[in-house]
Amino acid sequence: MKIGLEIHVALPTKSKLFCGCSTEQVDTPNINICPICMGFPGSKPSLNEEAIILAKSIANILNCKIRDKISFVRKVYFYPDLPKSFQITQLQESIGYEGLIIIDKGKRINIRRIQIEEDPAKIIRSEEYSLLDFNRSGIPLVEIVTEPDITSEEELTSFIFTLKARLYYLGIDIDREIKADLNISLGKERVEVKNVTGTKNLLEAARYEIERQTELISRGIEPTKETRSYDEKERKTKASREKESDEEYGYIYEPDLPEYNIKNYSIRETVDPIEKAKELAEKHAYNPKIILEAIAFDRYALDLIERNEEKYNFNSLMQAIMEIKRFKIDNIDDLSLKMLLEEIEGGFQIDKDTISSIIKHEKVKHSDFSQEGIDNGIREFIEKNPDILRRYIKNKKLADYVAGEIIKRYKAKPKEVLKRTIEILNSMTGQK
Amino acid sequence: MEDKEFDRLLKISRIKLSEEEKQRIQNDIEGILRYFDSVDKFNEAKIKPAFHPIRIEGHPRGDKIEKFEDKDSLLSNTKTYRGFIIGPRI
Amino acid sequence: MSSYIEEFESKVKPKDYYDRLYDELVRLNPRLNAFNALIKPDKNGIPLSVKDNICVKGIEATASSKILKGYIPPFNATVVERVLKTKRFSIIGKTNMDEFGFGSFGINCEKPAKNPLDEERVAGGSSSGAAIATALLKYHVAIAESTGGSISAPAAFCGVVGFTPTYSVISRYGLIDYANSLDKIGFMARSADDIRVMLDITKGKDNRDSTSTDSKIVGLHHKKLVIIDELIDKVDEKIRSQFFEFVEKLKNLGYTVKNINLNEIDLSIPAYYLIAMAEASTNLAKFTGFKYGFKLNDFSKNYNEFFAEAREEFGTEAKRRVILGTFIRSASVKDKYYSKSLIIRKELIDKLSKVLKDAFLISPTMPIMPPKISEANSMSPVQNYATDILTIPPNLCGLPHISFPYSYSNGLPLSAQIVGSQFNDYGVISFVSEWEKNFEYKFKYNIGEI
Repeated sequence: MKIGLEIHVALPTKSKLFCGCSTEQVDTPNINICPICMGFPGSKPSLNEEAIILAKSIANILNCKIRDKISFVRKVYFYPDLPKSFQITQLQESIGYEGLIIIDKGKRINIRRIQIEEDPAKIIRSEEYSLLDFNRSGIPLVEIVTEPDITSEEELTSFIFTLKARLYYLGIDIDREIKADLNISLGKERVEVKNVTGTKNLLEAARYEIERQTELISRGIEPTKETRSYDEKERKTKASREKESDEEYGYIYEPDLPEYNIKNYSIRETVDPIEKAKELAEKHAYNPKIILEAIAFDRYALDLIERNEEKYNFNSLMQAIMEIKRFKIDNIDDLSLKMLLEEIEGGFQIDKDTISSIIKHEKVKHSDFSQEGIDNGIREFIEKNPDILRRYIKNKKLADYVAGEIIKRYKAKPKEVLKRTIEILNSMTGQK
Repeated sequence: MEDKEFDRLLKISRIKLSEEEKQRIQNDIEGILRYFDSVDKFNEAKIKPAFHPIRIEGHPRGDKIEKFEDKDSLLSNTKTYRGFIIGPRI
Repeated sequence: MSSYIEEFESKVKPKDYYDRLYDELVRLNPRLNAFNALIKPDKNGIPLSVKDNICVKGIEATASSKILKGYIPPFNATVVERVLKTKRFSIIGKTNMDEFGFGSFGINCEKPAKNPLDEERVAGGSSSGAAIATALLKYHVAIAESTGGSISAPAAFCGVVGFTPTYSVISRYGLIDYANSLDKIGFMARSADDIRVMLDITKGKDNRDSTSTDSKIVGLHHKKLVIIDELIDKVDEKIRSQFFEFVEKLKNLGYTVKNINLNEIDLSIPAYYLIAMAEASTNLAKFTGFKYGFKLNDFSKNYNEFFAEAREEFGTEAKRRVILGTFIRSASVKDKYYSKSLIIRKELIDKLSKVLKDAFLISPTMPIMPPKISEANSMSPVQNYATDILTIPPNLCGLPHISFPYSYSNGLPLSAQIVGSQFNDYGVISFVSEWEKNFEYKFKYNIGEI
């Protein structure tokens, strides 16, 4: 099995690639438009330098060789969403080439090239017409083309995760805007699934296509070389509605743009969260997977760790971060964080009230229950639910449930309550 | 140029021709291409192509938002529906 | 006459000056088809005409194509902005042209232009209307455009001065493209001094056109003239002999003349057309019948059928060039035609820049006298293209050049062309300024004279 991807990622610039229109997402159609991104006769492109910087940074993160000089070409094809009937993109002189990304288990996925190009308009299909919104036309994109080195669904998942995490720290959210073409071949011929939007659909499309091709091969049929599309509703790939056209792109050099010397453009330094998680895990003898989960798409979490890793016990700090995420706390201040850590280290249950107190810097109310009080609570509960004893004999895990209820009600320290619950249940059922 | 190839060219360029025009233009094109074939005679491998007649240093612009003030004049050139521009169906 | 602009600005205009000008042009236009649109200006500046492929905000721009009928540009071309900013000019109309610039005679359009000096003959193209307007009006300047000779040719046939600057000197923003690496905006006028004024106003880098530059423009007035034998051989016998008489006059004015051989120069025509058509076929792809200009309102068709039907509005020459251009760009032949042509361009630029270091190229502007319209209509495409042999080399190589009359024969003008090295724009203008001190142009019309 060979899977290759052509991924389009939108760059977070303020203005579009070739004009000064805003890239902001708005609900009203045709607001951020001008003669250039609408392809009016007489208009001409003007390259945005931030797109160069970001594209260069992406190429760098993906370990690509970066060209000193870049230029652009016209890719000609006719579609209502393409205002000039050609897209300004790159071919030979693309900004990055021969890169690589290492995914899970050290597997190496080679990157063929990275190129800068403009987005077409948004098209809404209807029975009778196309409805076009040019807000999107001219948004800067980077296309990342991989070699067909991915050989399983797991690798595909890992690749997408790794790419997403690295791009996140550059300010790029690929879940939102990613558009990809998937090239999958289980047999000899390559099947292209075009225009899949979003990472979830990408994985589903791959899954379906792998099944489809596997099934064909099992019946002795060689999957044909074709272009397919992904139907989100039915979660299937389908033979492309548009006839495999004779479209010939007829590339020529873009004569309205010169060559650009980009050697002196700086690269944005950025964090590789996978490497960072490994580093922290080693340093603190902690599970790297958990750290990665916390920081992969959360710069704020990484920042908290970096600021506090020397101050507190790392385990507790990680727990605190989980709670911060769970309760969606924005901008926790140092004192609140300290109080949160105290609660955690004290073994107390963290709930809404806890959080609201620490944020207000108020002392957290703990239940003042004595041993007796808790014991009474446990016995009361068992009395009200008599068949718990019978069920406990069969399944010891029920203790967790009972303890959980008590903890909720009394806000007592979980460890102690559980210990006591088990002791009482055991004594009441005559077990150890 | 073979008929099949000529038809393919028409399809790619989205050009429709009447039978008469087709005959005429296909003929013309054959003559023109023969005339153009003379460039093949030129054989200098070491010369770089000139994409522009002069050397131009590219200077990109800063990432600043510049609103185009007169949007109505853009949309008034075409047909719209609820703010969307109407085009042919796909 | 040194500057009509200055003379106009120094005179007191009668109150109804522009009304009368407009009326006269309205009367003549159906015969000559110089203008696609005539405008009565409300200010009292020098009458200015703009070729109809250059955008003026709020005024229809069609590039003489049916597919752009109704296109109202929402912006001014930079060149128009710079001229209007001076507040010295008033736009009086958009001039007729060969559709999108495709032609050397001014007949590839709905309303073929006629030469005002002999209405059975062509006016030259593609800036036909600009040349006619300059030949009609005493006080006027035309903004025009050249890709392969579209300023020189009509200027030569109508007996006016036509200047094409070095590529990149004048911004192309707002020019409806024919071939982006070849298009240049330039001017026509009745004197070199007026050309100089226009160049002063419009030259220089424009942030909206990434190929425009701020390179220093010089004015080296060389006294050495070079004639390329391969080019002069292609000129009509009758024109050649008159041209040589002219060259003698120049010698008497202190110029030296040298003949040289440059056999690759013959490749300039095919190389030019290959590049121009390849680029043009991409520029014309945007015309699909629904965003601007001609709108096909038949939405029963799917997009492929819709586009093909809308694009039937192109004229025959436009269709021909789109088809050819698409072919040239196709993968199977791209190296053979397009890539080769780019190399030929480089070779010619290098060879010519050596020659032009200390000299000007001189030749007749056109190899033939303006043909009768009926003759022109029966020429094959290749015959058509071959008439550009003298104007294509400087256009392909982005060199500044200027056409101007040096004699008259049976009421028709004989024009010569001077070519300078890149950025020696003021140099070629100076040459013509000097010539004008020794020669007075003859004009059949002087509409608007005060």
